[in-house]
Amino acid sequence: MGSETKLPPHLEEQRTRIFCGKDAPTHARSNNFSGAYRSLGEDHSFDNASFKENFRIDIKRMDSEVMEFDMIGVDASIANAFRRILIADVPTMAIEKVFIANNSSIMQDEVLAHRLGLIPLRVDAKKFDYRTEDEAATEQNTIVFRLKMKCSRLADGRLENDAVLSEHLEWLPAGSELPEDSDSKFTHYNRDQSEFYGEPIACADDKIVINKMRPGQEIELEAHAVKGEGKTHAKWSPVATAFYRLLPEVTLKQEITGEEAHALKKKCPKDVFDIEDIGGTTKATVVNARACTICRECIREPGAENFVDLKRVKDHFIFTIESAGQYHPRELFIDAIGKLRLKCQKMIQLTH
Amino acid sequence: MDVEDEAFDDEEEEISQEDAWAVITSYFEEKGLVRQQLDSFDEFIQNTMQEIVDESPDIEVTPESQHQPGMEFEVDEQRHYRIQFGQIYLSKPMMTEADGETGTLFPKEARLRNLTYSAPLYVDLIKTLTKYGAEGEDPIVETEELPKVFIGKVPIMLRSQYCSLYDHSDKELAELGECPYDQGGYFIINGSEKALIAQEKMSNNHVYVFKKTMPHKYSHTAECRSVLEHGNRPTSTIFVKQMAGSGGKGAAGCIRTTIPYIRADIPIVIVFRALGFVADKDILEHIVYDFKDTAMMDLLRPSLEEAFVIQNQQVALDYIGKRGSTVGVSKEKRIRYAKEILQKELLPHVGIGDYCETKKAYFLGYIVNRMLVCALCRRQQDDRDHYGNKRLDLAGPLMGGLFRMLFRKVTKDVKGYVQKCVDNGKEINLTYAVRAKTITSGLKYSLATGNWGAQGTQGVRAGVSQVLNRLTYASTLSHLRRLNSPIGREGKLAKPRQLHNSHWGMICPAETPEGQACGLVKNLALMAYISVGSPSAPILEFLEEWQTENLEEITASVIPSATKIFVNGCWVGIHRDPELLVRTLRQLRRQVDVNTEVGVVRDIRLQELRLYTDAGRCCRPLFIVDNQRLLIKRTDIVQLQNRETTSFGWHDLVAAGLIEYVDTEEEETTMISMTINDLQGARSNMESGYYPTYTHCEIHPSMILGICGSIIPFPDHNQSPRNTYQSAMGKQAMGIYCTNFQTRMDTLAYVLYYPQKPLVTTRSMEYLHFRELPAGINAIVAIACYSGYNQEDSVIMNQSSIDRGLFRSIFYRSYREEEKRQGTLCREEMEIPDAEVTLAMRHGSYDKLDDDGLAPPGTRCSGNDIVIGKTAALPDDGSGSVQRYTKKDCSTAVRSTESGIVDQVLVTTNDQGLKFVKLRMRKEKVPQVGDKFASRHGQKGTIGMTYTQEDMPFSCEGIYPDIVVNPHAIPSRMTIGHLVECLMGKVASLLGKEGDATPFTDVTVEDVSSALHKCGYQSRGFEVMYNGHTGRQLKGRQIFLGPTYYQRLKHMVDDKVHSRARGPVQILTRQPMEGRSRDGGLRFGEMERDCMIAHGGSNFMKERLFECSDAYRVHVCEICGLICIANLKKNTFECLGCKNKTKVSQITIPYACKLLFQELMSMCIAPRMLFKK
Repeated sequence: MGSETKLPPHLEEQRTRIFCGKDAPTHARSNNFSGAYRSLGEDHSFDNASFKENFRIDIKRMDSEVMEFDMIGVDASIANAFRRILIADVPTMAIEKVFIANNSSIMQDEVLAHRLGLIPLRVDAKKFDYRTEDEAATEQNTIVFRLKMKCSRLADGRLENDAVLSEHLEWLPAGSELPEDSDSKFTHYNRDQSEFYGEPIACADDKIVINKMRPGQEIELEAHAVKGEGKTHAKWSPVATAFYRLLPEVTLKQEITGEEAHALKKKCPKDVFDIEDIGGTTKATVVNARACTICRECIREPGAENFVDLKRVKDHFIFTIESAGQYHPRELFIDAIGKLRLKCQKMIQLTH
Repeated sequence: MDVEDEAFDDEEEEISQEDAWAVITSYFEEKGLVRQQLDSFDEFIQNTMQEIVDESPDIEVTPESQHQPGMEFEVDEQRHYRIQFGQIYLSKPMMTEADGETGTLFPKEARLRNLTYSAPLYVDLIKTLTKYGAEGEDPIVETEELPKVFIGKVPIMLRSQYCSLYDHSDKELAELGECPYDQGGYFIINGSEKALIAQEKMSNNHVYVFKKTMPHKYSHTAECRSVLEHGNRPTSTIFVKQMAGSGGKGAAGCIRTTIPYIRADIPIVIVFRALGFVADKDILEHIVYDFKDTAMMDLLRPSLEEAFVIQNQQVALDYIGKRGSTVGVSKEKRIRYAKEILQKELLPHVGIGDYCETKKAYFLGYIVNRMLVCALCRRQQDDRDHYGNKRLDLAGPLMGGLFRMLFRKVTKDVKGYVQKCVDNGKEINLTYAVRAKTITSGLKYSLATGNWGAQGTQGVRAGVSQVLNRLTYASTLSHLRRLNSPIGREGKLAKPRQLHNSHWGMICPAETPEGQACGLVKNLALMAYISVGSPSAPILEFLEEWQTENLEEITASVIPSATKIFVNGCWVGIHRDPELLVRTLRQLRRQVDVNTEVGVVRDIRLQELRLYTDAGRCCRPLFIVDNQRLLIKRTDIVQLQNRETTSFGWHDLVAAGLIEYVDTEEEETTMISMTINDLQGARSNMESGYYPTYTHCEIHPSMILGICGSIIPFPDHNQSPRNTYQSAMGKQAMGIYCTNFQTRMDTLAYVLYYPQKPLVTTRSMEYLHFRELPAGINAIVAIACYSGYNQEDSVIMNQSSIDRGLFRSIFYRSYREEEKRQGTLCREEMEIPDAEVTLAMRHGSYDKLDDDGLAPPGTRCSGNDIVIGKTAALPDDGSGSVQRYTKKDCSTAVRSTESGIVDQVLVTTNDQGLKFVKLRMRKEKVPQVGDKFASRHGQKGTIGMTYTQEDMPFSCEGIYPDIVVNPHAIPSRMTIGHLVECLMGKVASLLGKEGDATPFTDVTVEDVSSALHKCGYQSRGFEVMYNGHTGRQLKGRQIFLGPTYYQRLKHMVDDKVHSRARGPVQILTRQPMEGRSRDGGLRFGEMERDCMIAHGGSNFMKERLFECSDAYRVHVCEICGLICIANLKKNTFECLGCKNKTKVSQITIPYACKLLFQELMSMCIAPRMLFKK
């Protein structure tokens, strides 16, 4: 599809671009079905070969937390599916149950438990199973942490342990060490967790403040982390945010010179335009169309629409993933693809 | 050159509007926010109380001759007892335990143990016994002094000078378990905090003239509520009236007056004659002053003609005496009676002693004069709603009134006791004579119930003392600055409810409740100050020194050329150079040689100078302007800014005469510039300037707002009712209501998990400690239509944000219980009730109780669970047999609709030494569909839907809104401030600064927009957003997105959801109970009934109103039509009267109907039910 189109240019442009005029954007929907332009002799049915040829992912920026990449050649629904899966469907481990043995800090038990739940854990959730309501806690579905601290005043007057940080959460690979209840054990481990989970388990960030204490106050608790998904509770969401935007296309319809060029440059909050000085005449040029947020500041004034043309490319997504810390953003995207594939397979099974 | 230099220096010295904030800061640093309460109470403690004791007459007792049978009547000596009350002493708040141990009481303990925070009051008593022997002998005088007799306990206002917390540092306060931000200003009575609401009243001794419209009998009236400055005489109001109508009846145009205790209105001329001014000329010169004023003279002609027949004082007095309450007495007595009335009851504030006639005549003449001036249309009628004519009774005067009454009762009791002892010849023990309980419980009763006055007496004012609102810190502050006008709520008159021009700067224009109390309940503006009152003697002395001519010494003819001088409404004399006098007075006041709160009002048109020293006047501080230049200079500001080193504060500014307090009445005689810039404008073109005569300058116009109004950002961009709505809603917002909430045991408390200080603030918030004790969260708000679940004031909330802790809150409820004791046998005990021996056990679970009968902290409880187990021993039934049940259950259960975890349990004893328990439950409240939220602009809404993050719209930067509100909420409500707040919030968050949204400043939307543009955003705050469901760009224009401060209000669905099929019924009518807390029914009311009739749903209606309510089966005798005896087991029926056992009909009627019939029967009315076959 796509490249060898025989559509008239204005239709082709409507098909591939969103027009951002003074009023509401037009042609924002996509007509990606086979018969959309049948009457014009066009066949837009899906063609795997041309998809393979056109589809591209360009990674623009990547570190351990944020990844920005361009996803070109898919429909908004596919890009959105990835976004939604990233937020809600990629499983992680998070603290779900907190057994508080003692909490004399001023923070209420519920608040403390809630805060613990939100701490991102650097664990590969793929190595663990989901735990259902009636299942016992085993090494396969539960990770146990212990938090035991007491604040006291040192001889020199300083406070010890006044800030409870996430680094103070201590992983118990052998399971719960709390004294057993009358008939139920808190965990039923068959083997040490470190046997199958290679590296030590810890929080994604060491310096998350959980609580603050004063001398004499203490906390003793065990926190059980289980596998879950973002749609159940935001604490299992592996991303802080995942989003995309469409690639903007800024063109100048007419040559803009002199004062007007400077005015145009000033109008843009994102410095999309610049001034070119060729042979004494100053001329406005588009230098950084990608930065444009389509805020339409440049076409706000009456008549400005005749100078600047704002469009967006419908199948070009500038995608950003900000990891919450459990996974590297690259892994996250791969997981998301896997999850989408699973969903598709489920769908296919259901329809056949 | 020199002159120019000086001018240049002056410009340099001029302070800016920004510098004014240093002044405002110093004001609040020194005064706090409840100063009026504290000042007023301190005045009561330090002066009023002693004055009341001093002014009470000594108790004088002589034995009355007793007739004792069988005993000779002997007169050996005459005894005379006199008891004087001397110096009073007040200690710090104390508490006496049941076992007699006494110690200092601190507020925390009083709150927790339900004690009263009060201090014992002692008085020195002097008993003098004079024995008169036989004639000629010198009387023997014996004096006995009883120092410091305990006469009662006086509740102490927190943070007043006698409070145990007075002058403690923040650290010490924290150690005492107090919130350092708490300002005091309230009382603690039986553990509950009570705020005294200031009561508004008309000012006394002030002459008001009103025009009456045609159907009325009178054309004009003048009134004056005359009250003595000290003392406890009731107000005596005088009315002077001019009869309406022209020609016709003889009375037209006559002027008459009311006199207390005289039934009929008395012609004014007769009153003058009765006062000793007989000649027409004498009378006229007291009224008209200027005989050239023929118009006014003409108006008096009918009155003179009317009184023509009475031409001397005796006849005039007799005329008045005849109309008094005494009938059928001799003429002499009548005349004496009339004289007495004129001396004691007519215009008592002028004087009640002998020889006050001249003064009274002048004052009466003045009243008539004022009325005639109005009748001649030379002056408008007086404005009843002008705030200068209002006085506020604060804690001091209120407590003073109460104390005066109670103290009089104590002295009366003492007198009675002494009289009894003397008559019976017993020893007088004064410590027994003084009943301390009178004052202790009298003060406590009024403060606890709010019924101001003695228990069971008429004319008490209700609602004077209220339980201090502790929902949010702002609501507490606002409650302590509330005013109430005791006018009937149902009154149709709109005038007293309207905002008056004179409210400017004194009363918040926004903060008033909606509905019945609208405009009657008001709130003080931030910098309003209420005068505490000062003695008038120094002023009178000053006037004497400065050539004021006494009324007795002048001839009436000089009055027109001089200025009349009034002190507290009382005409004291005239002065010929008022300009000089006023200037000197103001000068002295600015030098603090005269009390700063003295009001100096010069009315040039009326040729009057009115001076006020009384309590309860509204004042406010203003910069003094001299020669179009502020007296306060930059150097003063610099000194203020270095307060720590220079210790230069607000009172120094006042003492230096840079700032003065101006009361509402004086304000009318000033010219106040709104801003400092206006002064510069007036200076730069003296000739063409709009106002070249400024005398004062506002410190800052935003000070016109009250506590709740000051929390609103950009209130000057909102439609005014919206500010009023927010002022009401701000009091329901959750936040942190005080820092010691963990140690308090309030019956209800809401605390927000993660409160934030607002991104967009006003300068006034600093003084309200809104940053330290906030009540809201900066939520990211999008104004958009999205999915349709935010219609009609509902909002969409981001579920993921809620998961992460947005607007989560904790709800606390405390239960209290004590082991009551009745007699020695019947006592209650806290324990786990034993079902074997305990009667009337509850349905809930008793499993949560520990051995001591209390649920331990950490116990998770649901509705109806017992948390405090308590039993009362049943009295012996007297049958002698072994009783099955020996105890009765009186446990406390968790409310049926609530659940939670036991947070804290307090076990202590109360003042009677009984075991006393308070138990606090805690419950986490997570926002859910139906919970209520509001921005700070009267924009409230409930959650209509929660969407997880992926379903929410997102911007090109990955911002997902927390709240999506519907754009339809904006246009009709015109809350532009909401939008500007959002815009400024966006800038503030990008720059990492606070946005300044103080009203009446130079910030414009354009400034904010350009700042936002500089940050790389669309200047008006719009952003392109994508639909979270479809992933496509949202159709239509961009979305207005940014952080806005939102409040969570205390109304939550979980506290409201209710339904019932069957359930408890009322005992009397057997109709369903009312209210959710009793699992009541939902009312099917009149309008619902109308609806069903209109729909023709009669069967449904019968079901609702009858079957589901109180259907009842009765059997009726068909002969007599009355209810008969039915034995359903044996299936026999009988009507005893008719001897009828067969003709019986079974019917169903409402139980209430059956009840009515029986009640009618009890009144000898037979309602007979007759049936058609």
